[in-house]
Amino acid sequence: MSRIGVFVCHCGENISRTVDVERVAAYAAQLPGVAYATDYKYMCSDPGQNLLKKAVAEHQLTGIVVAACSPRMHEKTFRKAAQAAGLNPFMCDMANIREHCSWVHENRDEATAKASDIVRLMVERVKRGKVLEPITVPVTKRSLVIGGGIAGIQAALDIADAGHQVVLVEREPSIGGHMAQLSETFPTLDCSQCIMTPKMVDAANHPNITLYSWSEIESIDGYIGNFSVTIRRKARSVDEDKCTGCGVCMAKCPQKKIPNVFDRNLGLRTAIYVPFPQAVPNTPVIDREHCLKFKTGKCGLCAKACGPQAIDFEQQDQLVTEPVGAIVVATGFDLYSIDRKPEGSSIEGYGEFGYGTIPDVIDGLTFERLASASGPTGGKILRPSDGKEPKQVVFIQCVGSRAREKGISYCSKICCMYTAKHTMLYHHKVHDGRAYVFYMDARTPGKCYDEFWRRAVEEEEAVYIRGMVSRLYQRGDKVVVMGSDTLVGVQVEIEADLVVLATAVQAQPNADSLAQKLGISYDKYNFYSEAHAKLRPVECATAGIYLAGACQGPKDIPDTVSQASAAAAKVMTLFAKDQLEREPIVARVNERNCVGCFACRKVCPYGAIEEKEIRDRQGNLIRTVAHVNPGVCGGCGTCQATCPSKSVELDGYTDEQIVAMIEAL
Amino acid sequence: MQQNHTQLADDSYFAAVTNAIRTETTKLLSEGTVAAVIGYQAGTRAGTVIPTIITDAAKAGDLVFSPGCVNNLALYLTKAKKEVRPAGKVAIIAKGCDMRALAGLLGESQLKREELHIIGVACVGVKGAGAGSGEALTTGTIARKCRECTVRAPEGADVVVGAVPPLPEFSPVEAEELARLEAMTPAERWAFWKGHFSRCIRCMACRQVCPFCYCEQCLCDRNRPQALETTPRPAGNMAWHIVRAMHLAGRCAGCTECERACPMDIPLNLLNRKMARELKTLYDFEAGLVPVEKGPLTEYREEDDQSFIK
Amino acid sequence: MEHDFEPKIVAFVCTWCTYAGADLAGTSRMQYPSNVRVLKFPCTGRIDPVFILRAFQKGTDGVLVSGCHPGDCHYMAGNFHARRRFAAFRQLLEFIGVDLNRLQFSWVSAAEGGKWVEVVTELTERVRAMGPMVEFKELEMEEHWSGKLDSPELKEAYQNI
Repeated sequence: MSRIGVFVCHCGENISRTVDVERVAAYAAQLPGVAYATDYKYMCSDPGQNLLKKAVAEHQLTGIVVAACSPRMHEKTFRKAAQAAGLNPFMCDMANIREHCSWVHENRDEATAKASDIVRLMVERVKRGKVLEPITVPVTKRSLVIGGGIAGIQAALDIADAGHQVVLVEREPSIGGHMAQLSETFPTLDCSQCIMTPKMVDAANHPNITLYSWSEIESIDGYIGNFSVTIRRKARSVDEDKCTGCGVCMAKCPQKKIPNVFDRNLGLRTAIYVPFPQAVPNTPVIDREHCLKFKTGKCGLCAKACGPQAIDFEQQDQLVTEPVGAIVVATGFDLYSIDRKPEGSSIEGYGEFGYGTIPDVIDGLTFERLASASGPTGGKILRPSDGKEPKQVVFIQCVGSRAREKGISYCSKICCMYTAKHTMLYHHKVHDGRAYVFYMDARTPGKCYDEFWRRAVEEEEAVYIRGMVSRLYQRGDKVVVMGSDTLVGVQVEIEADLVVLATAVQAQPNADSLAQKLGISYDKYNFYSEAHAKLRPVECATAGIYLAGACQGPKDIPDTVSQASAAAAKVMTLFAKDQLEREPIVARVNERNCVGCFACRKVCPYGAIEEKEIRDRQGNLIRTVAHVNPGVCGGCGTCQATCPSKSVELDGYTDEQIVAMIEAL
Repeated sequence: MQQNHTQLADDSYFAAVTNAIRTETTKLLSEGTVAAVIGYQAGTRAGTVIPTIITDAAKAGDLVFSPGCVNNLALYLTKAKKEVRPAGKVAIIAKGCDMRALAGLLGESQLKREELHIIGVACVGVKGAGAGSGEALTTGTIARKCRECTVRAPEGADVVVGAVPPLPEFSPVEAEELARLEAMTPAERWAFWKGHFSRCIRCMACRQVCPFCYCEQCLCDRNRPQALETTPRPAGNMAWHIVRAMHLAGRCAGCTECERACPMDIPLNLLNRKMARELKTLYDFEAGLVPVEKGPLTEYREEDDQSFIK
Repeated sequence: MEHDFEPKIVAFVCTWCTYAGADLAGTSRMQYPSNVRVLKFPCTGRIDPVFILRAFQKGTDGVLVSGCHPGDCHYMAGNFHARRRFAAFRQLLEFIGVDLNRLQFSWVSAAEGGKWVEVVTELTERVRAMGPMVEFKELEMEEHWSGKLDSPELKEAYQNI
């Protein structure tokens, strides 16, 4: 039998001015199951809380309703008080007779009647309340970071510096990502490699970081604090432990004319290669598609030349499994290929801009390689078709971005700034050259960003033309760019030697398949979704998985680094305790009634519902039922409303409690 | 009202289907491909059939297919007669409408396709309510659902038996009835349903015969809390039928067994039809022959209609 | 103002948006009719159509279901699922013959105290003008099987047995 105590608060005069609190208390006192009811000036004050604690002892109360302000205000206060009095905190609820009653109704009789109703409903709720114990989940204090670009490296370093083990997985032979490809960075024009490579080396040498390059995520099981990650270490054909990185193998390799993807195919590499000289780890990979040994069985010059005998043509992919408690996803971005429609994508191509067909139409990242001191031209701006120095360069912004009719409506965020940077780099290297920029808007929010852009326009002589390019074609050795200058209202035609397209920042091509392995959600552009756009921008909805960098959406380097450190901080917060404790408002399955239709799993936003096999003593499978992982469940209760037989129930909001309240209406 | 009704498909069609089912059953059971075949056998009165489970190839000759084969046998794969069904792979005779139910059950993890051998019947139709057991299948005796059938050829079955002869155009009786109801005022519809539901005796035949009502414990039998009044009073009846229609929304395969089994002749399928139509309009969902991962009420799109929300 | 009929209004709301929006209406001291009783849920995704039915059966004259705007759900997708569920449910109720003017759905965010007041006031006034929801109440009053036992069809059937 319930013995509920009802405490009606005056809140000074905030409640008692319009609600007859004594009448409400008297009304509550005669409700079935109520053992004690009183009113008090300030329930949240120390004397008020003491009154509550004393009453619990004196009247052997089993539950408490505090009729006062919103539970959003003082639910924690009173639950703590109830706990101090020896009650389960979840046996204490609040009847909101201030925000929902005394403050919004003037008529004293009406407000008093409504307050009494609210109290009655809450008494019914508490009468059917259940004792709930906090849920604890053990935490494995190791972290996985997926992606070895600047985001992944930053997150890995921060977590490792905090004293936790990190497994850093990179798909390419070297970490570094896109930032390693850049020439100089806005808004300070410092050399990207100069600031990036030390971080790469730090990450590789950090005692707390295990680096798996040339590796990919095979599968992920488990949940927050307790993931199990299987990583595919792709066959490198080079023993990482033996290789000293001397590079003799590459010098001996007869296959020397393979386009180097790292250099946007402008430079060439060998079949056994590191993508760039500062690669970390500095261990080559054999590109089996081009290697003569693999193609014809003959060659093996690299193996003969290798002193430490690190070449291993027999090497196979290896699967390693790592237990981790948290995952940072930092898989970065890709650039929109405008020459072709990406497979399966709703995004239309930009055939009219001649990318892929006119050799002197390149994208921004290709320009970065041209401008990079360690790039294929040694930092000289030379155009791809004939290696001549271009005297007129046209930059076109918003190629793919902000083009709803082409399938992408978002702004790629970094192009305005990097195009301004490109015009400067060009101006610094080709003094008699002229840079034109077609733009829709110049978007430069960021510290020292607008100043930087203004410098490009005002000091570095870039000619900004507000308008879009309508057509672009090859005439002789020139690329003719036709467009409109919408500010002046004239058509312009420029004979360019080189055209640079600021193509849209896109999600990685297989971002969706990784998301499915991780059980995280992604938007229609395949960028990963954060749990809350404003307040949880770093966390995934799936507990224990955090986002860093452009895999979540277009970002520049400072934003990426900030988010990476934020993600690392989230990981450290998680690792600060041995056990993860959470509010026990979670769903539970009644296994006797569950028939395993898994409608609950289909609607669960957290992926918290698993299959559980019920077996008899002989081990025979009797049936498969749903099971809620309390570490993952977010407590929304969508499963319960969906379950036809109500075999899953949300603690704290059970059908019994809700129906009792409806019955008491 | 006297009308001239044409007979649909002569006896040779049903004989051919019956023979094909027997041949397939003999083969499946003697080769050990399946442990049992769920089909129809002749009932005690001529022209009637009863569902049966055959485990012995020698009994294959018991199986029949006739215009009386109204039952949706999918029921016997999940909840009904569990105790007599042997373990292992099972073959089942399925008309197109029954196959939609199988697809639904597969999508709801109640069946495994690899444990199922579907003998699909290219179906002319079965007899509807009111047709005598001795009567032939005609344009007059054919069931309402069969008049609007879109799945006469059950694609996706492991084997399809029979060939549908040319059929006349049927007037869509049920669709017309649905349109009539929709044209009513809410008050008129309330009166219509109140009249029907008030007659409900809560025998639960609609639930027992429904392939999708496979819950171990039905919501309406719960008592903590009691979600619905269990006695056959008008209020509880109304609640039960609303809940039933809601629970079947997006799942019902349209076999109309509920309506057939109802001893009080409540036009239950009108509710199912209505919900199916709304879900088609709203979310372009239709119960089909191929299992889908999620139904219309277990998935969502951000751009879903919300014109009804302020 | 005196009215002949004061409707009973029940609001099923999510705790994160609409409940907080109603709190804001309170802290802003906005005024609205006192007819509404609020039932708090973690999320609109938790709200079972059976609850609405039950409320009508218990004599509620108007029901409001309100939660977070699309994209704002604290649980990401609860309101999206609720939106489909209730889109279907209201069609069913209408088909049964319930006047949908008694059933209001809304998105009210934690910042929309004013919208909460507007939605609740509008529903209350609309339902007040409609008068009491008699349909379910009448059913509740009917104790007996209301089919006519002496209909000619039944008599004939009985004779034929």
